Amino acid sequence: MKFPGLTRFSLQNLFGPIAVLTILTFFLDRASSSLQLMTQLALCTFMMVLALQVFVGNSGVLSFGHGSFALLGSYVSGMLTAPVNIKSHALALNQLWHFLIPLKTNIYIALIISAVLSALVAGLTGILLMRLSGLASGIATFALLGVTYNIFFNNKQLGPGSQALPAVPTITNTYILLILILIAIFFVYLFNISRSGRSLRATREDPMAAPALGISIFKVRLIAFVFSGLLAGLSGGMYVHVAGTFQVQDYYLDFTFTTLSMLIVGGSASIWGALVGTILITGVGQILLMMEQHLPIFGVTIGIPLGSRAVIIAVTFVAMLLWRSSGITNGREFSLPRFKRS
Amino acid sequence: MVQSILDAISLGGLYALAALGLGLVFGVMRLVNFAHGELITIAAYTLVLTVQFPLIVSILITVIVTSLVAFLMELTIYRRLRGVNPAIMLIASFGLSTVLQRVYELIFGALPKSAVVAPFLSGAFSIGGLSITISSVITVVLTVIILLAMGYLVERTSLGLQLRAAAADFKTARLLGVRANRLISAAFVLSGILASCVAFILVIQNPEVNPYYGLNITILALVGIVIGGISSLRGAALGGFIVGVILSALNTLLGNGRVYAYSWLFFAVLIILLVKPGGLLSKGNELERV
Repeated sequence: MKFPGLTRFSLQNLFGPIAVLTILTFFLDRASSSLQLMTQLALCTFMMVLALQVFVGNSGVLSFGHGSFALLGSYVSGMLTAPVNIKSHALALNQLWHFLIPLKTNIYIALIISAVLSALVAGLTGILLMRLSGLASGIATFALLGVTYNIFFNNKQLGPGSQALPAVPTITNTYILLILILIAIFFVYLFNISRSGRSLRATREDPMAAPALGISIFKVRLIAFVFSGLLAGLSGGMYVHVAGTFQVQDYYLDFTFTTLSMLIVGGSASIWGALVGTILITGVGQILLMMEQHLPIFGVTIGIPLGSRAVIIAVTFVAMLLWRSSGITNGREFSLPRFKRS
Repeated sequence: MVQSILDAISLGGLYALAALGLGLVFGVMRLVNFAHGELITIAAYTLVLTVQFPLIVSILITVIVTSLVAFLMELTIYRRLRGVNPAIMLIASFGLSTVLQRVYELIFGALPKSAVVAPFLSGAFSIGGLSITISSVITVVLTVIILLAMGYLVERTSLGLQLRAAAADFKTARLLGVRANRLISAAFVLSGILASCVAFILVIQNPEVNPYYGLNITILALVGIVIGGISSLRGAALGGFIVGVILSALNTLLGNGRVYAYSWLFFAVLIILLVKPGGLLSKGNELERV
């Protein structure tokens, strides 16, 4: 396959990632409480990587702005569910706008609201941003992230500012997160094989030829941007209900680069690539963390000096790009190995 | 007032230098080298750690160390990525930037290292009742000298001609006998030298060097080269200068609202990009895929 990405519906393409994710979650969820938390956080991260796949993977345009949608989703969902007395009495929040204090809904309604709001903001900003391409687009999306972060970090009427919003109710059941992800995978898959998805990949492969075939680059990018903004908002919302606190700093540069590198390492052109990248980077990170703490891994204890984890992860990432710049999966979707008869 | 204008010019000049370093490398290999900030950081560390030597020696060591790091960066990483999709190169440079930050943290520790480099440059003097800090004057003077030197190098020498030719059209330049490997290495070494200059000025203003020292200025310089027009070195320098001046003006004008200076800056950037996607100095609408 020369140009990665799907055109036809294929059961193994869709159910491969679903099966792998479900099985992994099943085993990790019951392994230990620390692994359970890691799994829950990884599921939220994967939702974000999936969101990036929809836009960055299919359009080939880098976006550093998705952190804003995750931040927004997380903020909305956190503020809508945090206990009223926390919002009115916690010291840091004294300057909060009054109409924000009594707002209170249940987690799932909050998640839906956060996703819809993020999609709306993505649509409004997308109308401006999707006119740009190339480096200008990269910097403009970065500017979006910069503005969002700057406002939320400094404005104490809007939210907790530089402090944390505590006591956000949590989702403790991993399978609820898993189901949300599986639904998302299903819809992303449908989008990727849809007319819009295919048109978008056409603009990625040849931005000159695609318009000649009647594809409006602006339109197909905008559709993808809105959909991926929705997923990013949802990922932020899920994250806040796993972590139990909302903090603006969680959605800035580190977050943006980590999720983008997961996508690129796995192979940005496919859902399977997004999954492989997330599993790999989370897995390597977890193993190195256990090594740093001198914990046994499958009964073997290998210690590494404190602080070397971050270096190893970053070096691995760069080495991976040198070795295979289009990602481990080369942008292919999941397929069972085929045995050729000789 | 005079001080504010001087500050604005000196900040603009500083960002222009950083943007020029990025622009040089972008010109020859379409790479936005995000790890440029880490060149500035290592230069700053070297300056602070060699403070016991005479200033000239310390600066010399810094330039050598930084250029060497830049040279090795190209040799080990970017040379292998040549011709790869620019988006991948950008991400790789983010990765490299993270690697270097972590390595610095491991070697120098997470806490800032500081030393007073060139103590005779701190303090203030007064002209006609106006108090003016020495460092801002020195910054302006230094920046002008370096920019003039760079201008001479780029406009008048053979290397400069090759750099400009490569920035305009790398393939054709190669066909006309420009040696790719040599030129790209030269661009990286030059960007290393520029990073040392930037670090010197930064360290005079703020001697607390931590592993993330060069990050902020790199992001802003990056913004600068894009709004100035990335395909020419002049555009890159101009863009950097504009960003510095805008930021400095915002800090002066906004008063208590200065925490939102970045929001206004990025907002201005968005507007400029929407009006002129190719940068202020661009002529037509070129399609560049990143």
